[in-house]
Amino acid sequence: MFSGTDYNFNWESIYEYRQKFIDGFFTTIYISFFALILSFFIGLFFAYGQNSKIILLRFFSRFYIEVIRGTPLLVQVLIFFYVIAANLGLDNRYVAGVLILSIFSGAYISEIVRAAIFSIPKEQYETGLSLGFTIFQTYRYVIFPQAYKRIIPPLTGQFASIIKDSSLLSIISVNEFTMNAQEVNSYTFSTLESYIPLALGYLLLTYPISLWSRQLEKKMKD
Amino acid sequence: MLFKSFLSIVLLFLLNPVFVNATNQKVLKVGMELQYPPFEMSEKDGTPSGISVDLAKALGKYLGRKVIIQNIAWDGLIPSLKTKKIDIIISSMTITDKRKKVIDFSIPYAQSNLAILTNPTSGVKSVKDLNQKGKVVAVKKGTTGNIYAIEHLKKAKVLILDKESSAVLEVIQKRADAFIYDQLTIYRDWKNHKKTTVALLNPITKKPGYWGIALRQNQPELKAKINEFIKKAKSDGTFDKFAYKYLKGIKKKFVELNIPFFF
Repeated sequence: MFSGTDYNFNWESIYEYRQKFIDGFFTTIYISFFALILSFFIGLFFAYGQNSKIILLRFFSRFYIEVIRGTPLLVQVLIFFYVIAANLGLDNRYVAGVLILSIFSGAYISEIVRAAIFSIPKEQYETGLSLGFTIFQTYRYVIFPQAYKRIIPPLTGQFASIIKDSSLLSIISVNEFTMNAQEVNSYTFSTLESYIPLALGYLLLTYPISLWSRQLEKKMKD
Repeated sequence: MLFKSFLSIVLLFLLNPVFVNATNQKVLKVGMELQYPPFEMSEKDGTPSGISVDLAKALGKYLGRKVIIQNIAWDGLIPSLKTKKIDIIISSMTITDKRKKVIDFSIPYAQSNLAILTNPTSGVKSVKDLNQKGKVVAVKKGTTGNIYAIEHLKKAKVLILDKESSAVLEVIQKRADAFIYDQLTIYRDWKNHKKTTVALLNPITKKPGYWGIALRQNQPELKAKINEFIKKAKSDGTFDKFAYKYLKGIKKKFVELNIPFFF
């Protein structure tokens, strides 16, 4: 495969910088971990917001989701960090990075949750109420257990996306995995030697999620 | 059947570079990043222009080869050269030991120095103020400023950014105390943001950085020819012509500020 590219591999130059790869790998784990949790709550909130009786909240939720899903993450990161975070006095680029990543991913999660709840037939809801459940109980014992099965597969996919999307934080100089690999590349000029470990590293993070998702799906079938 | 046709298409793409290399001997592919006016830039309609472009064309004429300019991001220039996607780099590239390990350079054709862009509140007066704990220095990834900051400003935190514009923004927003790049860029950035930035144009290193034309290693013939061309261009006024065409205002400013000029 590589014979056509006339490329001489020089792995020693990369090995010298191995600490950079390790540091970046763990930074990516931290960032993704916090973004994962935060985006889940943001997603839940706006899934609720979209069906809320309060008209302002409903409009705001719709607006948020359309804006976030309709614009590139790269642009969002730049605007969030250099305009919004700058005005708020938020100087920590790691916190800003986690925030924007969560806001971005939250819009998608919100749609996943909303779609799953909407897909439950209306009769289920009505039956719950007719059995004397309160609205809360109906959701808790009737709707959610069914919606849960439809949320898990796309949600795990979204979690894997967060990990990969965190690479875009390199443009605001967050020293995550991609950033550090690019940095090593710019010192050693060995592109493939930097990027192949990078790809493997991301696979190492996303593959367990994919495995976990499959296991959950199997469990739900039983 | 489907798999077979798919495989043949993939193979075609993989083998493509071999054919291209064999047939295009006469063409001189010059790589540069068109983001450093007036050396490398593009006209409004997208045609590359600037001193490096004119230099490439003059070199092509000298070698009797047709010149094709390829606009490649700074990061990708040396890898492109190594993988034979381009034949030479003319992109205001400074000759450094690190780069010399992977590619070869011609004799220098120009020189430039590193300078500092800072903001009024940082209190930075010289490069010594930067090598301290708590100071943040912004650089553009892979540039000589980046290499300098990593090697000499060990106590400061180095912010590595993709674009010059982000680095300037970091300084304006006081997230970074300084941005280290060449004098021309620093001067121009300061001109665009006179109120929010301060330019310290005195060279921060004793020796200037020399720019060379980059080529692959073990090409003595091409290297000799390029060196000959540079010597000729220096003596017959080609570079003076470039300076007159593109750098008139800036040259005056450099003389005023007592900064050594490019050529």
